[in-house]
Amino acid sequence: MWGWRSSRTVITLTAAAVFVVVCVLPLLFMLWAALAEPRHTVSGIQGLLLDRRQVRLLYNTVLLGCGTAVLATLVGAPLGFGLAKFTLPFKSVLRLALVAPAVLPPYVIALALIYVGGNLASTLGGAIVALTIVFYPLAMLATEVAARQIEPRLEEAAILVATPGRVLRRITWPLVAPSVVSAAMVIFVLAISEFSVPGLLRVRVFTTEVFTAFAALYDFGRATMLAIPLLMVSVVLASVAAARLGSRVVTTRRHARGEPLEVFDQWRSVALALISCAIVTMLIVPVAVLAREALRSVSIVGVVRDSREAVINSLFLAFWGATVVTMLAVCLGYARARAPVKVGVTVDALWLILFTVPSTVIGIGLIGVWNRPTAFGLYGTSAMLVLGYLARFVPIGGLAMAATIRSVPESHEEAAAVAGARWARTMTRIVLPQIRIGVLAVWAISFMLAFGEVGTSILVAPPGESTLPIRVYTLTANAPPGQVAALALFQSIVIFVPLTLLGMAMATREAS
Amino acid sequence: MTLPFLRLAGVTKRYRGHGGVENVSLEVAAGESVVVVGPSGSGKTTLLRLVAGLEHPDAGEIWLDGRQVAESRRNTVPANERKVGFVFQDLALWPHLSAFANVEFAANSTGQPGTERTSRIHEILRLCRVEPLLADRYPHQLSGGEQQRVALARALAGSPQLLLLDEPFSSLDRDLRITLRSELASLRRQLQFTTIYVTHDPDDAEALADRTVAIRSAKVGSVMPHTP
Repeated sequence: MWGWRSSRTVITLTAAAVFVVVCVLPLLFMLWAALAEPRHTVSGIQGLLLDRRQVRLLYNTVLLGCGTAVLATLVGAPLGFGLAKFTLPFKSVLRLALVAPAVLPPYVIALALIYVGGNLASTLGGAIVALTIVFYPLAMLATEVAARQIEPRLEEAAILVATPGRVLRRITWPLVAPSVVSAAMVIFVLAISEFSVPGLLRVRVFTTEVFTAFAALYDFGRATMLAIPLLMVSVVLASVAAARLGSRVVTTRRHARGEPLEVFDQWRSVALALISCAIVTMLIVPVAVLAREALRSVSIVGVVRDSREAVINSLFLAFWGATVVTMLAVCLGYARARAPVKVGVTVDALWLILFTVPSTVIGIGLIGVWNRPTAFGLYGTSAMLVLGYLARFVPIGGLAMAATIRSVPESHEEAAAVAGARWARTMTRIVLPQIRIGVLAVWAISFMLAFGEVGTSILVAPPGESTLPIRVYTLTANAPPGQVAALALFQSIVIFVPLTLLGMAMATREAS
Repeated sequence: MTLPFLRLAGVTKRYRGHGGVENVSLEVAAGESVVVVGPSGSGKTTLLRLVAGLEHPDAGEIWLDGRQVAESRRNTVPANERKVGFVFQDLALWPHLSAFANVEFAANSTGQPGTERTSRIHEILRLCRVEPLLADRYPHQLSGGEQQRVALARALAGSPQLLLLDEPFSSLDRDLRITLRSELASLRRQLQFTTIYVTHDPDDAEALADRTVAIRSAKVGSVMPHTP
């Protein structure tokens, strides 16, 4: 079935070629540009990276990553335990509400923090808090999946001879810990790769410095050189995290076998209280703060109308970006799901690495690749924004899709093949109907992330063309807070629509 | 007349969809070895889980050593206070703990002081024929038979009054099954604990049972005395 003339091979190879051009080539270009830059001698690199200013930058970046990873894990891991180990009412709704901050644009959370904390927010501590709110869902989901994957007998065997607390400490936690630590490493990388929050809160870290070097100083060589340490840290840590997780990167909750143990239910009300507190603090308060700020001074409808062009642009580009991301993710995810274990784990690692590459680095890489006469004239058009979305979100889409497709047994396809169906028919009639919720989820998540994307967009957007995130980000410097808050609130509302629809679809599936 | 050590009275447990047990009554005397046989899905494992306290009955009562441990819809005594040992079908050895640590975890519940406890663990490992050099190995480094012995040692480490075994030898080859079966019978004679043993294998029943009961289906009065 994988023969050279098979439609499966042709489609998969085409998707892989697009993936390489869009996602891998910009990074290779960055590496090449850094090596080819005449100023990049050993002494030049030492001079740039080791002067006092850069050491301070490194210190800030590491502190931001460590602080966010620790705090997000401290918040997310107990919540993940709560979701995995207790019988809770409306669990799907609770999970969705807890995950929501992760799909909001990070700068929206930072804005809310500024409105609450004023100058106090514009510190490294403020950036850590904002990024914790954005990234704790990753720690939570990793913990939940790992805790649910524990074979129930292991805890049952322990509960016969130990108190529930001791079982959690000695049996459950050691089995979950590797996933939690790996998630913390990914959060560290994502935190040091994030641009919009430190940019908005005026915290100087490597990502903001790369942006300044490129967009303000027009110094491409300096930007690439500053991007290299960031890229190296991302690659190393994401590789370690992927290696530790192995094939668990693409495990879905559908595979999870663990049901909540009855004895843990004595803590159910405590867990419910903690989860409610988290939802209020991490989701309701930031949105309410934006709403208060927006309603205080301006007409929301008027502000949105003034930014109509950016809004329409964003909706249009995010729609097409999400659609193409999903199409590629289905093809690549399928190939990953059916690949041998070693190949699959390597692909997972590559996707994880690519997902953690800083958005500003991707932006510069895309410009380097596409800003040339031989590049089909795409540079300077809106297509660059879609390419940016693809470069950033195809890796995570592929990971999610592979997890979904792995839940369809290979024997289903074999049975279809034996019955005489070609691969295309097998995919459309057998595989896709079984993963339709997963496809919807990948599309919705890609749409939400693309609708809030700013780090790459701000670099590759053609002159005179703006998206809503770019407009919000630039307005923060010179527009009244109410106007910015109104746009951020509108953006949040738009993002909550697909999130709610996705939640309803998943709840319906669980109920059935 | 002496009270039974274990008594199930009209116990019902239903799962969404299928399985469970329906209105089951059973009495087991202290020191007795009861073997439960029955077809797949008849509720044998559910019966053990109810006795261990891993599930609560939807209806009926469970009494253990003169104490009511479960009533309709709730366990009155939690699993960790019932002093029950359980050997699971898949053994459920904790993969991150060595063989010794697996047994030690269970032995901690006895409340014995450290040195006494350590010597007791070694004694149990010896009784279960776990070689000393295997004690530091992790479950994945042990053979199937060695894993069985460690699982049995762990189940005995908490000094249980009642040992529940859920088809523990089902995945082993015939020779090893016969060996382990005779070791278990010998251990029971030595330690005099009460056992309930679930199996498909009539040879197990013959070798281990003082009495055999059959669950024919998850229906009213389905547990019946059966002469071996």
